[in-house]
Amino acid sequence: MWPNYDEQYGGERNRARSPRRQRERKREIERGCGCKLFAFSAFEKMLPLSLLKTAQGHPMLVELKNGETYNGHLVNCDTWMNIHLREVICTSKDGDRFWRMPECYIRGNTIKYLRVPDEVIDKVQEETNKSRSDRKPPGVGRGRGRGGREDGASGRPAKGIGRGQDDGGGRGMGGRGRGGPSSKSGGNRGGGRGRG
Amino acid sequence: MSGGPGLESLVDQQISVITNDGRNIVGVLKGFDQATNIILDESHERVYSTKEGVQQLVLGLYIIRGDNISIVGEVDEELDSNLDMSKLRAHPLKPIIH
Amino acid sequence: MLFFSYFKDLVGREVTVELKNDLAIRGTLHSVDQYLNIKLENTRVVDQDKYPHMLSVRNCFIRGSVVRYVQLPPEGVDVELLHDATRREARGG
Repeated sequence: MWPNYDEQYGGERNRARSPRRQRERKREIERGCGCKLFAFSAFEKMLPLSLLKTAQGHPMLVELKNGETYNGHLVNCDTWMNIHLREVICTSKDGDRFWRMPECYIRGNTIKYLRVPDEVIDKVQEETNKSRSDRKPPGVGRGRGRGGREDGASGRPAKGIGRGQDDGGGRGMGGRGRGGPSSKSGGNRGGGRGRG
Repeated sequence: MSGGPGLESLVDQQISVITNDGRNIVGVLKGFDQATNIILDESHERVYSTKEGVQQLVLGLYIIRGDNISIVGEVDEELDSNLDMSKLRAHPLKPIIH
Repeated sequence: MLFFSYFKDLVGREVTVELKNDLAIRGTLHSVDQYLNIKLENTRVVDQDKYPHMLSVRNCFIRGSVVRYVQLPPEGVDVELLHDATRREARGG
């Protein structure tokens, strides 16, 4: 029932983009000067919670420690990694049962990992650079200092989840369309890649 | 606490993460925090089994929560490229039991 | 703080760290922090045939919370010193 994850989360198109090239360039320079570079770019000061904050409005997959997965669009998150999702499909641990819910709230400490569309990592840098040039305090990831709220300066409306105008392939995520009605379990690929 | 075993030196490098549920995820470390939450870019999972060689699943961009992480290893790219994954057979790692 | 200080003194020694998933990793203690996270260098997994999962890893960070045991070199244990430090800690200073 799930669309192709690889494509949905960015796929080759994004993989060919900047982060990898950044790394290769760093390697080249390191080889050239024979020493290690630490602070090469803004990429390297990235905090997991800043990345998560930047992923607001994007689709994501969250796996909990109990093995359930939640597919939905990120509405908001906080410094404890508590997250609020909209248009959610929950998949049981074994990947054989599905539930749709309009929204859900997940306590941070129950999360195992989050899968985020590839292009979000490029956005973090844009926003970091932006807040630097605005001479905002360097405390990233705290809501203020990243101007994405009312002014939409980050190019992303705070509301209007699921329709963030990201150009990536990450469209048509779970909730809308595809998902079968909650009563019926669709095919069981994707979702919880339950490992016995 | 400076001088401790931070992950700074591994940023932008290929790392191999063993999670508490026994998975092995390989990718590029892009960031981390005090709680050992990490950002892994271009990641893939290596699935071990006794019946066939190691399967690699593409995962992409991941945030892994620190309390689900056991080991973060620096991948020696030379050693890694010399490994023949298709010949490796092993049971998946057991989960961490606290 | 006692164990933190103790492990700091052990830096540079060869130790074996056994994890709560039964994996045992031997290597040189590179550093430790207040959570007792450990960094090892020149690592090798004790039973590599059974656990080939880290064959391409020579340096690793182990989260303190998953450590079951740390096997120490015998010469790395100064009982007198540990007694003193323990008493001092118990007195709260």
